[in-house]
Amino acid sequence: MTLVAGVDIGNATTEVALARVVGNEIAFLASSTIPTTGIKGTEANLQGVFHALQVAIDKAGLALHDLDLIRVNEAAPVIGDVAMETITETVITESTMIGHNPTTPGGLGIGVGTTVHITDLDSATPGEPWIVVADAAHPYDVVASVINEASKRLEITGAILQADDGTLVHNRLTTKIPIVDEVRLIDKVPLGMLAAIEVAEVGRIVETLSNPYGIATLFKLDNEDTKQVVPLARSLVGNRSAVVIKTPKGDVQERRIPAGRITVHGEPRGSEVDVDRGAEEIMDAVTSVRAVSDVTGEPGTNVGGMMEKVRVTMAQLTEQQPRDIRITDLLAVDTHVPREVAGGIANEFSMEAAVGIAVMVKTDRLQMERLAAKLAAQISIPVEVGGIEADMAIRGALTTPGTAAPIAVLDMGAGSTDASVMRADGSGVSIHLAGAGNMVTLMIQSELGLDTFDAAEDVKRYPLAKVETVFNIRHEDGTVQFFEAPLPPQVYARVVVLKPEGMVPLDIDLPVETIRQVRIRAKQRVFVTNAIRALRKVSPNDNVRDIDFVVLVGGSALDFEIPQLVTSALADYRVVAGRANIRGMEGARNAVATGLALTWAEEQ
Amino acid sequence: MDQATIKRLVEEVVRELAAQPAAADTATVSKPARGGVTNMTPTTAGNLTISETGDAARGTDPKEVVIALSPAFSTKIHETIIGIPHAAVLKEICAGIEEEGLKYRFVRMYKTADVGFVAHEAAKLSGSGIGIGIQSRGTTVIHQKDLPPLSNVELFSQSPLIDEATFRAIGKNAAKYAKGENPTPVPIRNDQMARPKYQAIAALLHNKETTLVDSSKKPQGLQISFA
Repeated sequence: MTLVAGVDIGNATTEVALARVVGNEIAFLASSTIPTTGIKGTEANLQGVFHALQVAIDKAGLALHDLDLIRVNEAAPVIGDVAMETITETVITESTMIGHNPTTPGGLGIGVGTTVHITDLDSATPGEPWIVVADAAHPYDVVASVINEASKRLEITGAILQADDGTLVHNRLTTKIPIVDEVRLIDKVPLGMLAAIEVAEVGRIVETLSNPYGIATLFKLDNEDTKQVVPLARSLVGNRSAVVIKTPKGDVQERRIPAGRITVHGEPRGSEVDVDRGAEEIMDAVTSVRAVSDVTGEPGTNVGGMMEKVRVTMAQLTEQQPRDIRITDLLAVDTHVPREVAGGIANEFSMEAAVGIAVMVKTDRLQMERLAAKLAAQISIPVEVGGIEADMAIRGALTTPGTAAPIAVLDMGAGSTDASVMRADGSGVSIHLAGAGNMVTLMIQSELGLDTFDAAEDVKRYPLAKVETVFNIRHEDGTVQFFEAPLPPQVYARVVVLKPEGMVPLDIDLPVETIRQVRIRAKQRVFVTNAIRALRKVSPNDNVRDIDFVVLVGGSALDFEIPQLVTSALADYRVVAGRANIRGMEGARNAVATGLALTWAEEQ
Repeated sequence: MDQATIKRLVEEVVRELAAQPAAADTATVSKPARGGVTNMTPTTAGNLTISETGDAARGTDPKEVVIALSPAFSTKIHETIIGIPHAAVLKEICAGIEEEGLKYRFVRMYKTADVGFVAHEAAKLSGSGIGIGIQSRGTTVIHQKDLPPLSNVELFSQSPLIDEATFRAIGKNAAKYAKGENPTPVPIRNDQMARPKYQAIAALLHNKETTLVDSSKKPQGLQISFA
C-alpha cells in the first residue's frame, strides 16, 4: 500500500490529490486547492505546496509523514505576461469643440452666435447673435439676471458655463436658450469666434452638430470646408450636449501612434507586422508561422520596450539571461481604452483603440527538477517530477463521467491556455497558447478604466446587479430579488458585484448592461479565440471539426460563463464541449493532480 | 485657537451655566469674528427669512427631497462652525437639488438634535424617501426612509471641513439618490486636527442646540425665503 500525493502548481492555484494505491487499485482520499505562492516554477511555490499538502492530509485524517511519494507536475514550462498598447489618440486644436455629457445641461435646441465673456456683454453690439461664456466666479443667479437684462437689448442664443449650473440658470431665464455647463477649462474657450451650441433632450444625443452637413448649414461652409469638419462631427457622436467653435486652424484629429513592428521568427519562415495595424493582422502574422521560435519587437519603439520588459521579468524569474528567453506564442486582442482627449476643455474622454498582447515564454525543465529536489530535502519524502502537464490533464479529465478517448482537453488557466489531444491508441499531442484569465482581467480593467487589477478580477468573476431600493436589487438578467432586512447603505443605488461574501459596490458610473457587455466581450475575445486556435493546432489536419469531444478544465473553466461561451462557440463546429467533472466530484479542478496520482498507479 | 478665543469660550460656558433658566441674557453677547455663536433675532439671519407653517405633512411627490433643520438652525445659531452663513448653506443645498431637476421642502425637527435622527425623520417625511438632516454647526447626513436611523446613505460628520461646494454636492447627490441614479459619494475630507481644534466649540454649539429640544413637538413645516 502506498500513499501518493499528486501536486499541480498552477499560475493561480496549487492543487493536491491524495490517493492510496493497493496493487493497481487506486482510491482517492482527499484533495485541496490553495492559492499559488509566488510565480509558477519558482522556489516561492514551496510554501503553497506545503500548505496544500497539509490541508489534504488533514482532510484525510493522516499525518504528513504517512506520505510515501509526492509527484509534482512537470509544470508546462510556460509563463505568460500581458501588456496593453494604445495605438490612437484624439487631439483637439484651438479648442474648437466641446463634446461631453454633463448630466444636467440647460435648455434645449441649437444656438449659433459669437462667443462673448459675461463681463463684456455691455460692449456687445445689438443686431447679431451672441453666446455667453461665464466662469465659475459668477453665481447662477447673477448669470441668469445678467443674461435676462442683456437679452432686452441683445440677441442671446446660448451659454457656456464652467460650474454645474445649467438647470439653475435655465430655470431663471425669461427667454430660454441652450446651455452647456461643466466646461472645466472655460478660459480656453476662444472669445469673439462664431460658435454653435446644441443640447439634446434627456435620453437623446445631439443630431445637428454630429452631422457634417448640419455643421456646414450652421456655419455656411463650402464643400471643401465640410470635408474638414468630418472628424469633428464624428467625435461629437453620442454626446448629449456639444459646442463647435469656428476658429481659423481648429481641427480634431485622430492620430495613429506608431507603436513599432513585431517580428515573428520560426519555421518555415518568419513574418513581420506593425502593431498599429490591429490585432487581426498581428494574429495573421503569428498564424502564418507554423513553429514559432521567438517573437521580437522593433528596438526603440513601444512594442520593443514591452517585449524587452517581458524578457527581463522572465529572465529574473527563471534565473536565465534575457537573451536566452524565447517567446513562443503571442495573442493580440483589439480593445478600447478611455483616454482624456488632448486639447479638450471639458474633461472629454475618448475611447482610443488599443491592442492587448499576451505572450508566453518557454522556461527550461530543470526548474521543476530543482523545485522537486528542494521539496524532497525539506519534507524528507521522495519527490518526483511526473509527466507533461497536458498529458496529466488528459488523464485527470478522463475521470469525468461520460468521457473516453479520443478526447481533447482545454486547460484554461490564468496565464495560458493549454490544449492536448489523446487519440484512441493513447498517443497524443499538446500545445500551450498565450492568453487566459489574466488577459481577460487586463481587458476589463482597461476598457472600464478601473483603478486596480483586483476590481477587474471581481467584475470578471462575479455577476452584476443594480441596487434599486434598500430592499431589492435587479440582477443583470433583469430579475428582481427582495431582501427581508435593509441592505447596507454603502451599496444603496449602486452597481454592485455579487461576491459570495456579499455585495461590493463598483466605483464606475456605467449601466450594468455596458459593464456586462465589456466583460462578456473580453472573455469571448480571449477564450473563444484561444479555444479555436488551440483545437486547430492540435488537430492532425488543422481543422477544428476533427475533434468530437472537448473537456474544459482549469481555473477559468470554473467561471460562471466562460464554459458556456466556449461551448456555444464550439457548437458551431459541431464539437461537443463541456466543463469537466474530475472524479465525478471535483468539477473542473484537480485534473492534473489527479492525473499525476493515476499515472503512477498505472505504472506500478 | 488663541488665548483670547479660549477665554471667550470659557466665559460663555460659565455664563450659560449660570443663566440656564434665563437664557435670554445671552442676547447681549457680542458677535464673534467666526464660529457662529451669535444670537440674532429669530426671523432674520443674513437674508434668510424663516416662518413655521404648522405640523409638517408626509409628502407624496416622488420628486421632492426634504431638508430638515435642527432646532437651533437659524433661530439661535446663524452660521456653521467655520462661519458659513446658514443662508448660504441652504442656498447651496437647494441649488444642488434644483440643478438635478428635483424639488425641496423644508421642515424643522424639535424632538431631537441628533443629526442622524433629524435626517431619518426628514427621509420619512419625504415623498422620494430621501432626506437631508442638517445641524446648526454644519454636520449633515443624507438618509433614506427604509434604512435604520443610525445607518445612513452619506454622512458628513466633520463640520469644520464642510464648505459651500460640499453643501452643493450634498444637495446634488441627495437628488440623484431620489432619482435612483448611481451617484459617486461626495469626497469627504479628513483632518485629524479638526477635532482638537473645534471640539470645544462644537460641544458648545450642540449644547445650545439641545436646550431647544422639545420632545413633544412635532416636525414643523417651514417657509423659507432667501430675499
